[in-house]
Amino acid sequence: MAGRANIPANSSALIAIIADEDTVTGFLMAGVGNVDLRKKTNYLLVDNKTTVKQIEDAFKEFTAREDIAIVLISQYIANMIRFLVDSYNKPIPAILEIPSKDHPYDPANDSVLSRVKYLFSADSVASDRR
Amino acid sequence: MAAATVAAEELRQMGLQPTPRVEKADDVLGGDDDEILRFMDSADSYLLLMDSLSSALRQGWLDLASARHSMGASRVSSTLFDHKEQCAATKLQVVYPADLRPSESNPHFALSKWCLQESNSGDVIGMQDSTKPKLRYRGLAAAPGDGINESDATTAKSSTGVDTSSQVQMARSKALSVFGALVSPKLRTTQVSFETALELIVELANSRSTMLSSFSQIKP
Repeated sequence: MAGRANIPANSSALIAIIADEDTVTGFLMAGVGNVDLRKKTNYLLVDNKTTVKQIEDAFKEFTAREDIAIVLISQYIANMIRFLVDSYNKPIPAILEIPSKDHPYDPANDSVLSRVKYLFSADSVASDRR
Repeated sequence: MAAATVAAEELRQMGLQPTPRVEKADDVLGGDDDEILRFMDSADSYLLLMDSLSSALRQGWLDLASARHSMGASRVSSTLFDHKEQCAATKLQVVYPADLRPSESNPHFALSKWCLQESNSGDVIGMQDSTKPKLRYRGLAAAPGDGINESDATTAKSSTGVDTSSQVQMARSKALSVFGALVSPKLRTTQVSFETALELIVELANSRSTMLSSFSQIKP
């Protein structure tokens, strides 16, 4: 991650996805799916057989790729690799934690908000938005 | 205020300039206040956009479940994904502000939906113009020919928008073609919901970028 080059300005970049089947299917229908010459995709479909190691490897790969500008990760999956997600602090690619079908979004667990939370009280972010 | 003005005038007459300490403090506080306001606005925008994203995704999942119910689970499944080499049709444009150092970069994201098909449509129209037969007038000035060329250009420009939208529709249909030739209308509404979600995601990324940039300015 430290040696990752910036995406050149005004060039096209991809959106990577680490999410469950329905979320990945939906975003692929919206046209974000990419498969390169080496059959590497810009998405990882997580099910009950996916290991934490596979999720970590996919996260590290997507954040190291020069052609990816945003990484979408379901928040419940991000919780599995919370240490890795919270320790990431580069502007590109932007890591966005999104809700999933069975796990609604919780602002208290969001890595971006947790970075700035000491400017707010701990309760205001979690409770006022419910 | 009047006493301060008199004092400043006296100092100036003595050859000493009063130090505008109050103005400097106001500038510093004003700058910090701007950043704090920018941070609060971006944080509020981030949370509101996340609410909207949750709604868009919920709608998409509901439509997808309806499509799966009507078409059958085997026809709407991840096993149908095409693993052949393919470029993403929806991409991002990343713009960096020129006045910031790379370490303080506050990138701005813009979404290009179905961009592959849009750029191809431009190429196709260019080729069509070049292959169109041009009329030749013998013994006449070039004006009539120019007029015809201009009308051709106008026609090409007006048809560009139509061709682009038709190319986008073709791209949308192609994205759904992995699920079969005839798909449920619910699958198309699922596609629209997730396209909306993508737009919200790009706005979220921009809010995140602004929030982190402002936070880096105001944190001690």
